[in-house]
Amino acid sequence: MVNLLREGKSCFFPLFIICTFCLTIMAGFIGTLLPSLNYLPVMGYTSFSLSPWFDFFSWPGIQKSIFVTLFSGVTSSFCVAGFAFLFIAFTHGSFLWKFFEKILSPVLSIPHAAFAVGFGFLITPSGWIIRMISPSLTGFVNPPDWIILNDPAGITLTMALVIKEFPFLIMVAMGALGQLDIEKTLLAGKALGYKKEQIWLKVLIPGLYPHLRLSIFAVIAYSFSVVDMAILLGPSSPPTLGVQILKWFNDPDMSFKLIAAAGSLSLFFMVILTIIFVYCLEKTLPFFLRAWITNTKRQSFISNFKWLIFLTGFFIIAVTIISSVVLVIWSFSWQWRFPSFLPGAWTFQFWAKGLAGCFDSVTTTLITGIAAALMGLLLIIGCLEHDVESHKNKTRNYNKIMQFFLYLPLLIPQITFMAGIQLFLVIMNMDGVWITLVWSHMLFVLPYIFIALGATYSAFDQRMTDQAILLRRSYTLSLFKVKLPMLLKPILFAFAIGFSVSVAQYIPTMLVGAGRFSTITTQVVNIASGSDRRILAVYALIQQGLPMMIYAFAIIFPKILYFNRKGMQV
Amino acid sequence: MKNKNHQVKIKYFLLVLLSCIIVSYFSNAVAQDWNAIVKTAQDQKIYFNAWGGSQAVNDYIKWASQEVQKKYRIRVIHVKASDISDVVSRILVEKAARKHSNGSVDLMWINGENFKSMQKHKLLYGPFSHKLPNYRFVDTENKKTLLYDFSVPVDNMESPWGMAQLVFLYDTDKLLKPPESMIELLALSKKKSGRVTYPAIPGFHGTTFIKQALYELIKDPEVLQQEIVQSEFQNITKPLWDFLDELHPYLWRKGKVFPTSASQMQNLLNDSEIFISLSFNPNSASNAIENGELPDSVRTYVHTAGSIGNAHFLGIPFNSSAKEGAMVFANFLLSPQAQARKADSKIWGDPTVLGIQKLTSKDKTLFDKIPKGIATLTTEELGQVLPEPHVSWVKALEKEWLKRYSK
Repeated sequence: MVNLLREGKSCFFPLFIICTFCLTIMAGFIGTLLPSLNYLPVMGYTSFSLSPWFDFFSWPGIQKSIFVTLFSGVTSSFCVAGFAFLFIAFTHGSFLWKFFEKILSPVLSIPHAAFAVGFGFLITPSGWIIRMISPSLTGFVNPPDWIILNDPAGITLTMALVIKEFPFLIMVAMGALGQLDIEKTLLAGKALGYKKEQIWLKVLIPGLYPHLRLSIFAVIAYSFSVVDMAILLGPSSPPTLGVQILKWFNDPDMSFKLIAAAGSLSLFFMVILTIIFVYCLEKTLPFFLRAWITNTKRQSFISNFKWLIFLTGFFIIAVTIISSVVLVIWSFSWQWRFPSFLPGAWTFQFWAKGLAGCFDSVTTTLITGIAAALMGLLLIIGCLEHDVESHKNKTRNYNKIMQFFLYLPLLIPQITFMAGIQLFLVIMNMDGVWITLVWSHMLFVLPYIFIALGATYSAFDQRMTDQAILLRRSYTLSLFKVKLPMLLKPILFAFAIGFSVSVAQYIPTMLVGAGRFSTITTQVVNIASGSDRRILAVYALIQQGLPMMIYAFAIIFPKILYFNRKGMQV
Repeated sequence: MKNKNHQVKIKYFLLVLLSCIIVSYFSNAVAQDWNAIVKTAQDQKIYFNAWGGSQAVNDYIKWASQEVQKKYRIRVIHVKASDISDVVSRILVEKAARKHSNGSVDLMWINGENFKSMQKHKLLYGPFSHKLPNYRFVDTENKKTLLYDFSVPVDNMESPWGMAQLVFLYDTDKLLKPPESMIELLALSKKKSGRVTYPAIPGFHGTTFIKQALYELIKDPEVLQQEIVQSEFQNITKPLWDFLDELHPYLWRKGKVFPTSASQMQNLLNDSEIFISLSFNPNSASNAIENGELPDSVRTYVHTAGSIGNAHFLGIPFNSSAKEGAMVFANFLLSPQAQARKADSKIWGDPTVLGIQKLTSKDKTLFDKIPKGIATLTTEELGQVLPEPHVSWVKALEKEWLKRYSK
């Protein structure tokens, strides 16, 4: 592999990703497109027609489904992005920012479904908040009949998405901020009499945005097609489009797969249109904002809300942590009824059962996740080196095309796309094989590793490696002795993110793994289809613990390795 | 020369044909013999795909796997599914890809719509259940649902595993007297507004609730046994929609939100959000009390008009490569020992498919020894079992419900 880099054949990496992603996505796309045109020979549908599309648009409640999906997807993405920018502008460098730097990785490692379970139990009328003040303050002996969870407008779902996606954007921003000259800009701005948050909003944030663009697109795609959180927190009749597609797909009547395919493509178009809309917004916004940026005012209206932004940031982290605490309590409880604030009876039984029963699935999860994240790192670092090399030698850069394919898996609703891939794998007799399982995870791991590592890696001061090459004349040594060790922390972080993405994969594991591979996440989903909240809490906590372990490793390992090098501790 | 070549080809062809016939004759003859099946099954590895949402059920399957490992040297791997229709889809995909052997599934837990779907696409191996020695104990005389799975003839294409009957669960601390019919349920929900609900449609339990209401509300429930006549549908089902229209404003969350499943309803019952839940397992209340999921004030009841019952089964996919192992395991699960253990509400509480009158006295005592769960009804109390309406009603009812209430 290193030889490829040394011999100037680094284009292997982006080309490899382009070819394999292109093939896989084509398989998935064809496997979705054909059924949506009434072509699925296995079930006797061989004449092309648009009837699945008509069935889709005439499904009862589909307009509402589409509307709710649009509402929760667009609102949550805009709120997350907007609030993330405000948060950075107001808190950067403050105590809260430093607190965030420490707390972010464990918060990020909480899987969406586990968060949704905890969050749901927190805010539901029979949940922890109401229990806290009942019956003493409220007089409720029975929980009130309020619509909080599963509200038809999807407001709870939107809130939960904001809370869950916000730390992700902040983490990406933290990585990208290194590329801005923050200190100098602030100094210059302050010398001109501007307030700190004004400098941020008018100068630094516009410079930061291009680094966050792709992550914001990923947030949009995720909010539109999210299934697990939408089932737990979103509206039920009709549900969001993502959930509705899953329902069609799982219907015992196989002919519903045609409508599911049409639905998936619609969802895909909705995502693409929203992204195009955001892109246009990005292009036109400077035109409208120019007047505001250059209005030379030294006072800002928004500065009055500083405390609100601090409070909201704190609130988001608090809610996430309390949602996990709720799970811990459930995992030790035997009977916990309304309105008791704590369980009436406790037990270790479920932990004993869970720990005894999860060994195999934990092993599978670890091996698969580590393999997918390692392979992902290798490919992405190869691509990033290709980027450096083509800049230096002014040769052709394949990374632009590669990025296009890299992000596609995040934009397409997983279920039908993976179903298309499944068919091809079964034909090639490669389903239920570990290596294809790892590959299917890598489809989703790679883009996230790229998001996490790309900006920092590109910002690396190339003069360091140039100097190293001058001294030793060895590209390999300069890479392994200078560049990668200096980038160890972000690389390990990208690895941890890749690992946690792999852990979270449910649909690829089910479809590609042919049920032969049971991971901790498939266990959690299975148990969630039952009623036992205590054993569910145990499994959800184990599921959460695995990425947390890897994140801890990513933080501690560089500290131990470089304990005697102060400059590397940063 | 060419002619000779041709003759050789024909001879060769006949030879192959003959050997094929001989082999298939013998393999047929062998397959008849249970002992031979047991012998072939040795050292087979079978992938048993079954819903994995209940710890009690998972523990039971684990126990059964260990037993057949000891007795028959068969390795059973429980592939847990959150929805068995995923598995049906996968087998369909395998068929599409012409994977006629080495399928990913060897045995699966199915019934109703999934069985119908598998039959329709010819995904099942069989008939086989009559070959299982323990099948002779199955109570096909009194339990008609073992021969008709949601009114679709079983034809020995699946082996019976357990019985189900719709029962309601209520919390005696919150409700003194449970309703005895849908009409009484309506009256109760008016009195205790927001404390009654039913699971969302489409969904197994929600649809059953609707069917139960339909049974109780229409004049002539006999029509439900026949295939649906579209022109009559609105007319026949009008009482049901009138009933639901009246009921919905008094439901939990005013009928704007429905629980996703019976499992979620059980949690809502525990949280006192609702006072009545439902289940397809008459022992589920006892089992849930036993493991702390529900308080011991919960009891079971049924409506006086009887309640819908069905059965669940085990099927072998056409492309399994361990059909013998699957049959031996299915046979073990039908054994009095396994069925009695399953019926114990401390273990799982799933009612047996066997006819107690058909068992030897020794096996009978196995069932006599099972303690009756605290919230379990006796067979008499469970009352009349109503057969599932013809399968064509399911989609029609679901569609109409969605049209009316999912807006």
